Order: sequence, then C-alpha cells, then structure tokens
Amino acid sequence: MNRTAAAKRALAVHRRLMRFGEAESIVAEPWVERGTTVRAIEAYLARLWQDQPADDDATVTETGRHHARASVLNLIVTVPDEAAAERVVETMVGLGQRHPSRAIVLAADPQAGGLPLSASITAHCHPGPEDGERVCFEVVVLTVRGEAAEHLAGIVAPLLIHDLPTHVWWPGDPPFADPIFDQLVEMGDRLIIDSSDFGDLLRGARRLANLRRRSGVGDLAWRRMGWWQELTAEFFDAPRFRRYLPNLNRLTIRYAVPAARSRRRGSRRRRDPADLGMEVSSPLAGPILYAGWIASRLNWRRHATRQPLKDGRLHLVLEGRYEMVDLLLEPVPSDELRPGDLVSVRLRVFGEAGAAEFIIERSGDEAVVASNCDGMTALLRRMPMEQPTESELLAADIVTDEHDRVYEASLRAAAVFLASAREMDAAG
Amino acid sequence: MAKVTSRGKARAKARGGAAPQAGPAEAAPPPAAPQPAAPQPRRGTGLPTTGGNPLREGLRVGRMPEPCTMVIIGATGDLAERKLAPALYNLMLSGALPPEFTVVGFARRDLTDEAFRELLRRGINRHSRNRPAKPSIWGSFSRGIEYQRGEFHDDDAWAALARRLARIDRDRGTAGNRLFYLAVPPALHGEIVRQLGAAGLAGSADARTDGRRGWSRVIVEKPFGSDLASARKLNREIREVFDEEQIYRIDHYLGKETVQNLSVFRFGNGLFEPIWNRRYIDSVQITVAETVGVEGRGESYDQTGALRDIVQNHALQLMAVFAMEPPIEFKASDLRDEKVKVLRAVKSMSPADVAEATVRGQYVSGWVEGDKVPAYREEPEVAPDSERETYVALRLSIESWRWAGVPFYLRTGKALGTRVTEIAVQFKQAPLALFARAGAPPMDPNILAIRVQPDEGILLRFGAKVPGPGLQIRGVNMDFRYGSSFAVDSPDAYETLLLDCMVGDASLFTRDDEVERAWEILEPILDAWASGEGGRLHLYPAGSWGPAAADELLEREGRSWRRP
Repeated sequence: MNRTAAAKRALAVHRRLMRFGEAESIVAEPWVERGTTVRAIEAYLARLWQDQPADDDATVTETGRHHARASVLNLIVTVPDEAAAERVVETMVGLGQRHPSRAIVLAADPQAGGLPLSASITAHCHPGPEDGERVCFEVVVLTVRGEAAEHLAGIVAPLLIHDLPTHVWWPGDPPFADPIFDQLVEMGDRLIIDSSDFGDLLRGARRLANLRRRSGVGDLAWRRMGWWQELTAEFFDAPRFRRYLPNLNRLTIRYAVPAARSRRRGSRRRRDPADLGMEVSSPLAGPILYAGWIASRLNWRRHATRQPLKDGRLHLVLEGRYEMVDLLLEPVPSDELRPGDLVSVRLRVFGEAGAAEFIIERSGDEAVVASNCDGMTALLRRMPMEQPTESELLAADIVTDEHDRVYEASLRAAAVFLASAREMDAAG
Repeated sequence: MAKVTSRGKARAKARGGAAPQAGPAEAAPPPAAPQPAAPQPRRGTGLPTTGGNPLREGLRVGRMPEPCTMVIIGATGDLAERKLAPALYNLMLSGALPPEFTVVGFARRDLTDEAFRELLRRGINRHSRNRPAKPSIWGSFSRGIEYQRGEFHDDDAWAALARRLARIDRDRGTAGNRLFYLAVPPALHGEIVRQLGAAGLAGSADARTDGRRGWSRVIVEKPFGSDLASARKLNREIREVFDEEQIYRIDHYLGKETVQNLSVFRFGNGLFEPIWNRRYIDSVQITVAETVGVEGRGESYDQTGALRDIVQNHALQLMAVFAMEPPIEFKASDLRDEKVKVLRAVKSMSPADVAEATVRGQYVSGWVEGDKVPAYREEPEVAPDSERETYVALRLSIESWRWAGVPFYLRTGKALGTRVTEIAVQFKQAPLALFARAGAPPMDPNILAIRVQPDEGILLRFGAKVPGPGLQIRGVNMDFRYGSSFAVDSPDAYETLLLDCMVGDASLFTRDDEVERAWEILEPILDAWASGEGGRLHLYPAGSWGPAAADELLEREGRSWRRP
C-alpha cells in the first residue's frame, strides 16, 4: 500500500471520528491536538473536570459535586477503517447514559506517514438515573500513524482510569494473527466482538474458544439471539412442556441471508449509512450460536453430517439424551431483514413420548409463538419483535464483566458443528 | 437480600503474570487462582426459580415466575396507579413476567375493562421510570387486564371474582396461582381477607405443596395496625384465612437496592464486618427526612403521626438490617430470624426514659424548597389544636454483645429542609490524638454513610492532610454512587418486591413477629406521650432540621446530628 493512500485513508477515518464533537451530550469544546504526546493527553484529562467547577451553592453537602464522574469501566475501541469509524461514533453516541467512564478510540495505521500521535478529547454528560444529577465521561480519540501504531499498549495504558475494568471492543473482523490484537486484548478484562463480522467464522470461533483470558468474551451476534433464547426458554418453564425436552428430535432454524438482487447492488448500497448494518460477513454466526446453545444446554453431541454446509444450508445429526436429533439450518433470502436474523425456530418431538412442536416464527414486526402438543394447537401469543440496535447490544454487554459460561459452551458447540460441516464439504 | 450479583467496581486487577498458553478448546476452564481459605459458597435455598429448565441458565431473566393472576383489591386507588401499574409494566418490559400473567382489578367503582386499562395506562405514562408505555408492550400486557366491580361486603361480588379467576385459569393457563394485593386502608383488611376465605380463594399451604392446585398469596401494605393490640388483631384475622407463609407484608424500603446492598456490603466484603461492632463504632444515626408536609392526608396523618408512619416500619427495619447478625443462609426465614433478634434486643423504655431519650415535634409554617408551607395545624382536616407529632427523634439501645453501649439515633420528620434517607455510622476516634494542636478543633470522626435515597450510594469520610506546610487535617470523602457506577437503572422497589412475591421469596417482606415486636418497642413511647410523662411537643419551622430539643438530645452525649 502506498503511503499517500494510507494517509488519505487515515484522514478519512479521523474525520469520521471527529463527529464525537457533534454529540448532543457534549459539555465543553473538543480538545484537539495534532502531533501531541501521551503526557500532554494525560495532563489534559487530569484537568478536564477541574475546569468544570463544582457548584459553590451552600446546599451542596459533603456528597459534593453536582456532576458525578461515571465510574464504570474503560472501553478501548479499535477503528480499522472509515466504515468502522462511522459505526463506532453512531453506536457510542447511542449508548447514552450507559456509557463507559472513559472511551479510548484508536485509529492506528502503521503504513501511514505523518504525525505519530494526534488526539481529540470530548467531554460528555448525561442526566443520571435519579434526581437529574449528571453523570459525565470522556471520549479520547487517538490517531496513531507509523511505527507507533505497532506499540499501542504503551500509548493506551497510561490513559486508562485505574482500578476500573477495561473492555476492548473490536468492531469488524479482528486480525487474530496480528500482534497488535494480542497486545490490546491483553490489556482488557473483556473482549467484545461481533462474530457475524468475521470473515472466516470457524477460524474466528476457534480462536475465541482458545482465548485464555482472565475475563470473558462478549459477542454481539450472541446478544442478538438473546430475545429468541428467552422466548425459547419460556416454552419449557411450564412443567407440562418441560417433559418434552429430553425427547426433542428436530431443531430447524431458518435465518435471513441477503437476497441475490441486493447482493449485486451491494456496492451502491454501501453509500447509505443506514445500510452499514446490513453488511454482514457471516450471517450464519448468530444462528449457529443459537443451535450451539440448545445443543450445549441439552447435552447434544455431534453424530453425523447429513448435508455439509452449502449456500448457508446445513444438516447435522446430533445425539440427544434419548433420541437422535436432526439439526437443520436453512437460509431465507430477504431484502428486509438483517442478514443473520432468525426467521423461525421449530423444535419438534415425534415418537413414543408423544408428538409436539414448539414454534417461534417471525411475521412482519411480530413473532408468533405457538405450540402444538399431541394434536392440540395453542397460539400462545404474538410478540412485537425486539430488534436491538448495536448501541443497545453494546450497552447490555458492558454492564457485565463476567465470563459467560453459557456462551462459551455454545461457542464450542458451534465450532464443532462448523468444523464437521466443513470437513465433509472439503471431502465432498 | 441476596440478589445483588454485580461485582464491585473496584475490582482488583492482577495485571502481569504470564498469560496461560492457549490449550485445546475442550480443555477445562482456566485453573482458579490459588486462594487459600477461599470462602465456601453457601447455596441459599430461599430463591425458588423455575427450577429444572436447563435453557434458563445464564439468560437475562433468570427466574421466571409461574403463570399467575394478580388481583388488585382497591384497584382504582392511588397505589395502583402510581406504583403497581408502572412496576408491572416495567417487569413486562424487561420480559420478567410470563405471557400468561393476568391482572384483575377489584373495586367499588363501576368501570369497564377498557376504562380500567386506561386508568393503569395513565399511571404508567405519568409515573413509570420508562414512559410512555410502548404500544407494542402495552398491547400484549393490556389484553391480560380485566376489571371486576364489587362492594367489599357483598358476598356475591366475591363469588363473581372467584368465577372469573377460575375462567382465567382455564383461558389463560394461570394454573390457579393467585396473588392478592390489598391496596385498601387497613381497616378493611380483616373483612377482605375473610371474604377471600369464604369465596374459597385463599387456598392453603398444604394444597400448594402437593401440586394439585396453584398457590395463593396475599400482599398487605403498611400500616400493620396502629398499636400492638390492633397489629395482633390484624395478624390474627389474616392468619385465620392465610398461613403465615402466604402473607407478604410489604415495606418498600426493603426493596430498595441500597438496603439490599447493605447485606452485600457487610457480608460480601472481608473489610467491614470485623469493625461492625461496639469496639469500633461510636454511634449510628438513621435519618428518614421528607420535605413534603402531609399533602392532603391530613385526616389520616392526624390519627397516625411520624412514629407510627415511619419509625414502626421503615426506620426500625433499616436498623434491623443494619444491626443483624450474619444469617446462616440468605433465605427468608433465616434473615427474618436475625432481624427479629435485633428488635427483641432493643431495650424497653420507662416513661422517664421516654422523656429523656425521645423528642417529638410538629412543624409550624416556614419555607421548604422555596415554597411557603403552612403550619401543620393549618392543614386541611387537621385538628387546630392537634398534638400529633410530625417529627420524632429517639435514642434506642440494642442490648446485645455486638451493640451494647452503642446508641442508635433515629429521626424522621415531615417538612424538613432536605429529602434524604440514610444510615450513618460514626466510628470511634483514634486512641491517641497524635495530631492535636492546642486550640485546634478536634478531628472529624470517621463516618460511613449509607445513602438510601436520593443519590443512592455509600460514602466514607476520613481525615487527610491539607497540602502545604504545617499539619492541618480536614475531612475528605470516598464516594461510591449507584448512579455512576453500574451503567444500569435500578429497578423500582415495587418491581423487586412484586417479582419476589410471585416467585415465593419472602426475604424482603416482614414477618408477623417482626411487626409485633416493633410495636412492643414503640408502645411505651406512645403511652408516655399520651399521658404527658414523655415530654412535651416541640415546634419547629418547616424547612428546618427539626426542633432544637433534638439537637440537645445528642449534644448532651457529646455528639451532633449529621447534615446529610
């Protein structure tokens, strides 16, 4: 890559990131320094809230200031390209009061020439949960060019608020093999990714499963499945339905993939920022995690591959507790849905234990939840679809800093399914 | 009180240390850090879940109540609109209620189902922390809302309610699980409970355990009686129909996050429990201060007063949770055993003690938050010569090994300068005044303040050296706040408590013996005040911090009230 192109690209990313200064929550003029030092940034951050003096009102008690610094976590965000920059700004502004205490947004480009370190810092406040006290935080955007971009840890570490958990959000397809990835992930207590952005889902899933980390992995593709998981679990809260669980013998998951027409138009659509979310590299990620979830919760083991992964379609045979289970993943071309969104889930039992089917089916903006047990069909309810924004997914993820054992088990199962489906694919 | 699961914010971060090498995916999770004498986890049995559903683990909604019908008796009142409707809506919004969940309003007013739904929706739109009601959520919620009109003394109305509930069980699959919420004045509790029993709606604990039919629970609002005799009578009346295990006496203070966190603070940290006793603690102040006056409740308040309204329930409950011994397990019976032990250890007062250790006050006109407030006696429906206390301060002694000699100062009042509820612990001074200078004021004592509302959080105050030459010491604060530390909203207390009741967890509700013991503590005070032996009523201007006599109560003992 030639240096001019790299410099241009870096500038475009930088411009996008300057939009943090347009957020409504902003409370002071952005501090922008081209060609600065970590020391200078630290000094500015130390001064930042002192320049917002506490109110000297006599009614201020020993609890003091009228604004409270958020004391939740540090978030390190990497921004590989312009599209990611746009998405990061939009998502983080959307976090509202569920914001980290300090966000460090990194646009690093070892290829680009120019000033090694530039910074732009914006201070934000949101009304707190009660009585209007403001909760405040800051966003530090760092543009790192040249060799310094290969040593990000040393730049970021002094800028973290001490004694708070640190999460690393890596939007897009993380460069698992790049030493910078390891450096940054090692700085955090939690890595947040979106596995539906992975270019190679199996490799990514394996790599995630092998991350030996103090803390966990947050996967936005997994979070997107949360609503479907809740609805699925709800069937089996009732003891009269729970007895079917060990006898399930078919799980059919249908999920959205881009319609051929819109895929052709992909390059034109990209211009519209609203469509950025539609660019999904691995639509299978969420659905296969969902399958891995059910399988790992119910102790289903891989048994055979009936139909290897082809055009997003997959048919495996798993070994359940009493029955063999058919696992089917079926793509549904759609212009409306985000690729990877579930379209329907069907869990079936047929055999000596009786016959039953549990169905969640998307229908427009609603989901129809129904069951059919031994010939008795019951429409349980229609539910408005919950389609969380990326901000909501991220917000849900940053409130936890625990290992999600259920996710980890689901991910391992998903990786096994993908591997067996691929092996057959290669053999065939 | 065992439900705060978030880990503390200041998590020690053992950086450094070699990262373990990546192993195969199938390998066991990373080995736990070597921790000598790691505390053994104790599995509380007090939190029934929809146990047995393997798909529930790790989901956002970890404990889904069984399908049930909640019957709000007195459904057209203020409580249903202000508190219950928003709480149920927020639970629905967070997916914490099963789809079959049904609400039946029961009251005298002639309303259609539709009009009742509208009343609840108005409550949500005005008072919910998430508002207005999302049409989609409200749509599915409102389909499960019905209204049954009836007079409380009319047997037929209760029979009609029973038929309706049976029909709902069939149509909506609520499986005979019923929750009755008594949102009516306590004078009606006896009658309503009797009617519930007569209509066959009370179920019984036995029927519940054999699985033949659903459970039946009743939530009772304070006040639980107006003195010991009436509380006993009320408890007896309710227990004629319901077993104690079915009775949930709600004290919404116990549902507040900070109060639940008090147990986590004490028993989940190694640092604080060792100093939680008479050796290190000088005194404890519990403040429940309101800025509002009686606000249209003149008639009922004039019968009640601050002691019955606040001290009997909220203040004594805060004190009990603060002072209790560690329970054996975090389950309802153990927690309540420990709380009642604290209350039993509170020293009874003689009339002379009452005169010496209590102060009662009543506000006269003044200014609160910039508004002129009329004197209590000028409030509508208040007797012009009323002797009713709107303020009370008292010193209690807990005669236990842990607390002997540590005074507990309780104060509560209306029309005070600030709205605040807190528990403040004052620690003993350092044994030697190394830094004392002639003529310098004594050092501030160390204070630990647990703030219940507003600005929920915990504050630790200690002395630090003022920068510069010389040695000057001033108090500084370490300040933890819920609002800025978790990036999540706290649920309203009613959300927590309603959900707890639906899953059958009584930890945060008050048991009959707690209620009766609390009255036993207060009875001598009420008697001494009534007879005139307990000291006179002091007046204080609205917007102040109470009568001067309350300040003198502490000054006599070399202490002073905090200005939180």
